[in-house]
Amino acid sequence: MEFSHYAPLWGEALLTILAVLVVLLGSLMKNSGKLMGYLSAAGLVAALALVASNLTIKPTLFFFDTISVDALSQFFKVVFLVVSLLVVIASMSKYTGKGADEYFALLLFATVGMMVVSSSVDIITLFVGFELASLSTYALAAFDRSRKNLEAAMKYFIFGSVASAFMLFGFSLLYGMAGSTHLADIAVASLDNFGPATLVALLFVIVGFGFKMALVPFHMWAPDTYEGAPPLVSALLAAGSKKMGFVAAFRVILIALVALRMEWYMAFAMLAAVTMTLGNLAACWQNNVRRILAYSSIAQAGYIAIAFVVVGAAYGAMPVNVLNMGPIRADQLGIAGALLLILGHALMKTGAFIGTALVASNVSKGSETDPDDISNYAGLAKRAPITAFCMLIFMFALAGIPPTAGYIGKFVLFSSAIYSGLVWLAVLAILNSALSLVYYLRIISYMYLKEAAGPKIKEQKGYVVALVLTLLAVVWIGVFPEAFINWAMQAAAVLLPQ
Amino acid sequence: MYADYAYLIVALPVLAFLLCLFLGWHLPRGGGFITVLATFGALIVSLGIFSETYPSEIVHQSMPWFANFNVGILIDPLALVMLLMVSFVVTLIHIYGNGYMNGDPGAARYFAEAALFSAAMLGLVYADNLLQLFIFWELVGLCSYLLIGFWYRKPSAAAAAKKAFLTTRVGDVLFLAGIILLYNNLANLNLALKPGEYLLQFPVIYAHISQIAPDQLTLIALGLLGGAVGKSGQFPLHVWLPDAMEGPTTVSAMIHAATMVTAGVYLVARMFPLFYAAPHGLTAVAAVGAFTALFAATMGLTSFDIKRVLAFSTVSQLGFMMAGLGVGAAVGAVAVGVSMFHLIGHSFFKSLLFLCAGSVIHAVNTNDLREMGGVGKYMKWTMYTMLIGSLSLAGFPLFTGFFSKDEIIVIAYEYGTLINFLPYIFLVLAAVLTAIYTFRMWFSVFTGKERSNYAHHESPWVMLGPLVILAVFAFGFGWAAQDDFYSYLDSTFEDIDFVELSVIGGHAMLEGEHGAPAAEGEHGAVAAEGGHGAAAEGEAGGEEAHGEPWYIQILPIFVAIGGILLAGLFYWDKIKKFDPSQVTGEKDPIRKLLLKGYYQHEIMTGWFAETVVYGTALICNTIDIKLVDGWLNWLSALVLGFAQHVRKVQTGIVQNYVTALVLGVVVLVVVITLAKEVGLV
Repeated sequence: MEFSHYAPLWGEALLTILAVLVVLLGSLMKNSGKLMGYLSAAGLVAALALVASNLTIKPTLFFFDTISVDALSQFFKVVFLVVSLLVVIASMSKYTGKGADEYFALLLFATVGMMVVSSSVDIITLFVGFELASLSTYALAAFDRSRKNLEAAMKYFIFGSVASAFMLFGFSLLYGMAGSTHLADIAVASLDNFGPATLVALLFVIVGFGFKMALVPFHMWAPDTYEGAPPLVSALLAAGSKKMGFVAAFRVILIALVALRMEWYMAFAMLAAVTMTLGNLAACWQNNVRRILAYSSIAQAGYIAIAFVVVGAAYGAMPVNVLNMGPIRADQLGIAGALLLILGHALMKTGAFIGTALVASNVSKGSETDPDDISNYAGLAKRAPITAFCMLIFMFALAGIPPTAGYIGKFVLFSSAIYSGLVWLAVLAILNSALSLVYYLRIISYMYLKEAAGPKIKEQKGYVVALVLTLLAVVWIGVFPEAFINWAMQAAAVLLPQ
Repeated sequence: MYADYAYLIVALPVLAFLLCLFLGWHLPRGGGFITVLATFGALIVSLGIFSETYPSEIVHQSMPWFANFNVGILIDPLALVMLLMVSFVVTLIHIYGNGYMNGDPGAARYFAEAALFSAAMLGLVYADNLLQLFIFWELVGLCSYLLIGFWYRKPSAAAAAKKAFLTTRVGDVLFLAGIILLYNNLANLNLALKPGEYLLQFPVIYAHISQIAPDQLTLIALGLLGGAVGKSGQFPLHVWLPDAMEGPTTVSAMIHAATMVTAGVYLVARMFPLFYAAPHGLTAVAAVGAFTALFAATMGLTSFDIKRVLAFSTVSQLGFMMAGLGVGAAVGAVAVGVSMFHLIGHSFFKSLLFLCAGSVIHAVNTNDLREMGGVGKYMKWTMYTMLIGSLSLAGFPLFTGFFSKDEIIVIAYEYGTLINFLPYIFLVLAAVLTAIYTFRMWFSVFTGKERSNYAHHESPWVMLGPLVILAVFAFGFGWAAQDDFYSYLDSTFEDIDFVELSVIGGHAMLEGEHGAPAAEGEHGAVAAEGGHGAAAEGEAGGEEAHGEPWYIQILPIFVAIGGILLAGLFYWDKIKKFDPSQVTGEKDPIRKLLLKGYYQHEIMTGWFAETVVYGTALICNTIDIKLVDGWLNWLSALVLGFAQHVRKVQTGIVQNYVTALVLGVVVLVVVITLAKEVGLV
C-alpha cells in the first residue's frame, strides 16, 4: 500500500490534520486567532490545488470501495472548498480573538465532512460524513452564543436529528433489502426486490437529504437558522452544506434507487414545484435580508431539484442536438444544469451572506432595528460602495440575469427541462424567476435608491477581498461559461449509465 | 509580430478609460495625455500590422466564447484602412481636446468617455463576427449618448442625447432583428463547421450567402440597412445628427463626423456580398443614400449654426457613401473601394472642418454665422486650414474630396446607364449644393465685416497642430493614395464569387467584377474594365479609353468650381453681386421650407410623434393600465396576498416544523401510491 496510491484523497487528509493542528495550537498559544485564520486559508488553498490536480479523474475506488473519487466528487469538493475558503477569508476580519481556533477548526471539520459525502458510494461512509458536517455546523450555528444563535442552533439541531433519524431508518431498510451498504449493490438489489419497503426507504432517504437541501416541506429550519446563526456561518450553511444534500441525493437516488425512477420522478416533480413557488412567495414579504436570502435559497433548491425530474423523465433517452453543442443527452444536461446552478448559487449566496455579515457588524451598529433589517440597507451604495455593488451583482445573478453564473445555470437547467418534455415545469420555473425579482429588486432599491441613513463606513479588508473574489468568479462564469458547462457535463456523466 | 499585439488596439484605450475614470481627477488636464497615448499606441500597432500585411495578407485570430459564438479579430484591408483612419483621426482629436477641454471641470469624465469611445469604435471595426460587432456598435452608441449629453446640466444637450439614443435605437432594433434572422438562416443550413469556425463569423457568412433563400436575404439586408441608417444618420433617421452638435465640438468632430457615423457605412461595406446577393438590397441602399445626400445638402444651405451646417454636410456626405455602395449593383465589389475611399477622405476633411469650427467658436464664442464675419484677420491658421478642408469637401480639383466624391458620381453614372439614372441626378445636384453651402459658410466666417464683438486671438498650438496635420491629409490623401487604395481594398472580397451572387441578386445586366464576361455589347467598355478599371481610372485623368463620355468625367470639376463661384457671388464681399435676403424674400416658400428643415420637426415631432404616436400611445396606455395592468395588479395582489399566508406557516415553533415534515412524508406516500393505483406513473 503506497502513500501515493491515496494521492486523490490528500486534500481531505490535509484538512483533517490541519483541523486537529488548529485545535492543538489554539489551546497552546494565546491570541492565535489571526494565525489560525491564515493557516486555515492556506490549508484550504492547498487542498483546492490538490483537488484541482485531479479535476476530471476517472472514477477510482478506495477503502473497500466505499469512497469514490470521480469528476462528480471533484466538482463538489471544489464547490465546498471555494465556499469554505471565502468564508474563512471573510471570517478573518471577524474572528480574531479568543475562540477563533475552535471556529476555524469546526469550519475545517465541516468541510472535510462535506468532502467525504461527495465521495461516498457507501451508505455508512455517507452517513458518517453527513454527521461530521452536521455536528460541526450545529456548533458553528451557535458560535457567537447570542440568544438568537442558540435558538437557531437548537432548531437546526432538533430538525437535523429528526431528519437524520429518517435517513438512517431509510438506510437500514435499504440494507435489509440488499444485504449490502454499497450503492452499486443496492442498485442491483432494488431491481429485484421491489416492494413497499423500498418505497418507504426512498421517501425516508428523501426526507433526510431534503432537510439539508431545504426542500419544502423539510425546509422550515432554514429561515430561522440562516437568520439566527452568525452570518458567515449562514453563508457556509446555505452555500456549502446545503449542496452536500444534493450530492448525497444524486448518488443515492439516481444510482442506488434507479429502480424506483417513476416514484422519485413523481416525488421530485411535486417537491420542486412546491419548493420554488413557496420559497419565492414567502420571500416577498420578509423584511429581514437574511430571511429573504434564506427563502431565496429554498427557491433555488427548488430549481436545482428540477434535475431529478428531468433525469426521471429522460433517463437513458437518445441524445438530441441541443444548444448547438452537438448530440447531448437531456438527462445529462439536466444534471449539468443543476451542477452549474449549484456552483453559481454557492458563489452568489456566499457573497450575499458575506455582504450581510459586513452590514450586520458595521453598518447596523447603533441602529435600533434588527441588524439584518432591510432598513439598514438604505443608501448602502453611498455608505459601503464596494459591498453594495457586489450585492447588486449577486442579486442580479440570483435572479438569473445574464451574464452571470446564475443565468448560465438556470439557462442550461431550464433548457434540459424543455428538451425532456417538461415544458410545464420550465414555465413554472421561469415564472418563479420573474417573481423572485420582486424581492431582489427590493433589496437593490434600498441600497441604491433610498437616502443613506448614516455616514460612510469602513469596509474591512477580509470582507472586501472575499466579496470581490466572489464577484469576479460569478461574472467570469457568466461571460465564459463554455469550460464550466463542459466540466459539469463530465461530472454529470458519472451519475448516468454510459 | 505586430499582429500578435492586435488586441492592444482595443485594450490600450480601455486601459486609458479606466485610468481616466478612476484617476483622472488627480491628473493635470483630466488625464487627457493618457487617452492620447493610448490611441497613439493603437495607431502604432495598426501601422505595424499594415506594414506586415500589405498588400494582401489577412490577420484572423479567434477564441471560443460560448455555445457557437466566438470572440475574434479580423484585420483585412477593409478593416485595416478603418483602423488606421480611426486611430489616426481620434489621436489628433484627443490632442486637440487637450487644449479645447482645458479648464472644463468634467475633463476627466470627457477623456474617460472619449477613450471608451475610441476602444468601442476600434473594436467594432476589427470584430470578426457580427455579434461582437453589434456589441461594440451598442457601446459606441452609449458613448455617443454620454458625450452628446456631456454638458448634461444644459437641457438642450440632455434632450439631444436622448434624441440620439432613441433614434439610433430604432435602427439598432432592426439591426438586431437582421442578425437574428441571419443566424437562424445559417443555423438551419446545418453546416458542418470546421473547428474554429462559428456561424456569425464574416468569412463563414460570406461562404454561405448563396445557400440562403433570396427573400430571406432581402429581409436580412433591410434589417442591417436599418441599423446602418440609424447609425449613419440617413433619412429618415437622420434627425438626431444635427442635434448631436450640442456636445463639445471635439465630440462632434470625433463621433459625429469622422468615425462613429461611418460605422453604418462600414457595416454595409462589410456585409456588401450579402447586400449584393439580396434582391433589391443594394437598390434600397442606393435610394436611401442618394436621397439623403441631396435632402441634407439643401438643409445645409440655410442653417445659420456653423456646426449644424457641418452636421447636415456630414449627413449628406454619408449619403454619398451609401449611394456609392448602393450603385455597386452595377459595378460590383469595386463600389466598396470607392465608397470607403470617400469615407476615409471625408473623415480627414470633415474632422478638419469641425476642429476649425471649434477653433473659431473657441474664439468667437458663438455658433451663429450671422455673428461672425472677418474672423480671418485674426485667425490666419484656422482660416487657411479650413479653406483646405472646404475645398476638399466641395470637391475642388486635386483635393481629396475631388477624387473620392466624384468617383462615386462616376460609378453612379454607370449605374444609370445600366439601371436607373435617379441616383446620379441626385448626387450631381447634391454635389453642386455641397460646394455652395461649404463656401457660404467659409465666406461668412472669415471674410467681410465683423458682425459682433469677439476676442481677437488665434487658438493655441495644441489645437492648431492637429489642424495642420489634418489639412495635409485633406489635401494630399486623394491623389497620393487613390490607385493603391482601390486595388488594396479589392483584395478584401477576392475570394467571393460575385458572379454567383449576382444571379441570386438578380443583377442580370451586371458585367461582374474582375472582368467577368460582359452581358451586352454596348456596355462592353465598362465591363472590360469592370472592377479596377472603372473606378481607378475614373478620375485618374481619363487618358485611356473609358466607358463614360468625356463630359460626364469633367462635369464634377465644373460642379465644384461653379458652386464655389455661386457662393462667392452671394457671400464674398469682394465679388458680391446679390444679397441672399433679397434674392429670396422672407416669404419665399422654398426658403421657408428649407429654413424649417422641410418641416421635419413639425411633421415628425409635431404631427407624427405628438399626434399619431402619442395618440396611439394614449390608447395603448389606457389599455395597458386598465386591461393589462389591471389584470396583472389583480394577479400580483393575489400572489402577494397568498404569499402573506405562506409566510405565516413559519410559526417559529420547532414542533410545528417537525409536524410539517411528517405530514409532508405522508402526503408524498399517499400521492405516489394513489398515482400508481390510477396508473399515472
